[in-house]
Amino acid sequence: MSSIRPRWRVVMHIVVCVKQVPDPEAAFSMFKVDEAAKRVVPAPGLAMVMSPFDEQAVEAALRIREQHAGAKITVLTLGPESARNVLKHGLAMGADEGVLIRDAVFDAADGHVTVRALVAAIKKMTACDLVLAGRQAADSDAGMVGAGIAELLGWPAVTFAKDVQVHGALLRVERVVDEGTEIVEADLPAVATVSNEIGPARTPNLRETMRAARKPIAVWTAADLDLNAEAQRARSRVERVFMPVKQAQCAFISGSAQEQAAALARELRTAQLI
Amino acid sequence: MPKREIEGDWVMGWPDRKRPAIIAGKDAQGRVINGRAPITELEGLITPTDAYYVVNQLEVPEPIHPDDWILSVGGEVERPIELSLKDLQKLPGRTVRAVTECAGNDAGYFDYLERGVRKPSRINQQDMQKRAAQREQNAVPSTEEIGNESTTTCAMSAGEFTGVPLAEVLKKCGLKSDAVAVRMEGFDRGQPDLAVQYRSVGRSDFKLVDPGVINYEKGLPIAKALHPDTLLAWSMNGEYLLHIHGAPVRAVVPGWSGNWWVKWLQKIDVLKHMPECYYQKHYFVYGRSPDDPNKEMITAMGVRCIITDPLDEDSPLERGAHKIRGLAWSGMGAITRVEVSIDEGRTWTDAHLEEPCERWLWVRWSHLWEANAPGHYRIMARATDETGRVQPQIPWNYQRKHFDGIVPTDVTVI
Repeated sequence: MSSIRPRWRVVMHIVVCVKQVPDPEAAFSMFKVDEAAKRVVPAPGLAMVMSPFDEQAVEAALRIREQHAGAKITVLTLGPESARNVLKHGLAMGADEGVLIRDAVFDAADGHVTVRALVAAIKKMTACDLVLAGRQAADSDAGMVGAGIAELLGWPAVTFAKDVQVHGALLRVERVVDEGTEIVEADLPAVATVSNEIGPARTPNLRETMRAARKPIAVWTAADLDLNAEAQRARSRVERVFMPVKQAQCAFISGSAQEQAAALARELRTAQLI
Repeated sequence: MPKREIEGDWVMGWPDRKRPAIIAGKDAQGRVINGRAPITELEGLITPTDAYYVVNQLEVPEPIHPDDWILSVGGEVERPIELSLKDLQKLPGRTVRAVTECAGNDAGYFDYLERGVRKPSRINQQDMQKRAAQREQNAVPSTEEIGNESTTTCAMSAGEFTGVPLAEVLKKCGLKSDAVAVRMEGFDRGQPDLAVQYRSVGRSDFKLVDPGVINYEKGLPIAKALHPDTLLAWSMNGEYLLHIHGAPVRAVVPGWSGNWWVKWLQKIDVLKHMPECYYQKHYFVYGRSPDDPNKEMITAMGVRCIITDPLDEDSPLERGAHKIRGLAWSGMGAITRVEVSIDEGRTWTDAHLEEPCERWLWVRWSHLWEANAPGHYRIMARATDETGRVQPQIPWNYQRKHFDGIVPTDVTVI
């Protein structure tokens, strides 16, 4: 099924990619590093939630729908059965349907495999006009899924969105840059990653949460997505996972105020901080 | 009345109301060390445990397995003893339903009524989160900084506690006739955080006594210790006490503010004199100023009444019938009367007391108000308890303890 949006189609379809992560509000001491297994181990019972940037991507989709009545929003995730809960959260926020990609072959998925699976799912859906994702996941902070999806689909990608709007067949994004913001336009279909500058995501209300209980969640496996062994092969290899050693050094600068200022500037330049 | 949105959540897999929970302050390990009760979201009389306020003066101790816990009882008794939890549970038990209220709860309303500063809000989440975060800071702020900080509200809850009367334990030991006080010591230990105390008091322009590292302790006057409703409790709201609420066993001292309800009990000493516990000689005292030579320890709470509906934040209200609702309680007995005024206190009408009116528990009250004329209204409520005390009872004091003033709700009818 083609994922390309015909120009004449009126109803917009937005797919929001979301990820289940350990509660990022949890204290760092709730996590241990298993250096032998090369992984971070969260404390048992730690709450799993939707990555906050992804929550803001759902918010961006809902704001677009407020301007384009009838637009359909699908929340999409790859993860274990428990990841169904982040889809339910997205549905309670106001999304229309959910898709869970769940298969044991994805247990050790890296960013590349995740992108391949998400793209296969997007292609399987009814034509998609816009893919939104958080700018990065709150656990890995890799920030590659949004751009990766655009690359494999051959669509434009706009990152770090502060505001996302759709005007006809055009995507208009105010994106965050070092100096402030810039406005970028791209033809739909396109991919945008959403940054925290978009503002807080809405809190699900009771009525929408109750409605969400009747919204469909499809579960697709690797076979459903025609993902062969090559597509399931991780391209990255974890070399080492470790707790960084924090070091603090203190140097006193003496001399006159002018000498101190000059010495400080030299030190900061040497450290490439200015 | 503009409807406040009901928040939703998934509860046991089903879509449901979001359950009330404390606005929590946490330590570096993500453990709750303090929390405010979402008082206006609650219904009924018993505060769910997850929504029960939490205040601690010293560091929360590491938990003790109930099988390893021992309570030693000594001092002015014929037979000093050590009791395990199972020993304690063999004594005649008792269940008490009571309000727990932090002595500094609503302290900011003293400033609102006395000095006209901004009225604290009981539903401003940002204020409550800020307050929870401030509790984690240990730098002593200036008096001016404290003045700009959010104030303490919602440190009040009500629960059902099961345990054994302290009097039964003292009887088992053979209480001597010259006993004056019962010193209760918890296994929470630490150096009192002066910043926390300055924040609670609302000023830092005076010197606090620093006692060094101590265990939390209070010396309960013997009459209150022997009251049958003063308990050593192992259960709260139908389940064993949670660690953060003082497990395995805490004191329950109905009518007296939370600082008397010593958590994590480990030792009881019967004394022939009132002990000079830090938390009743230097802190948790009434006085006109830090230099007041006649400071008195705080004991029973005053008479309290709060309006939970409508709130200032509900304004403007539409014309028509509105139910004014609230909670009332007292440190000395059951509430017998609540009166409501909608004209700034010029005239008062009896509100309906929603049974039961228990001795130590708060009572819900309500009054149907036909708001037919547009305008600004100042709604007030005041309570009377079974001893005849009428709100307010507690005058301003420099530590701002036991506030029981009448706080109006200001609304506009359109």
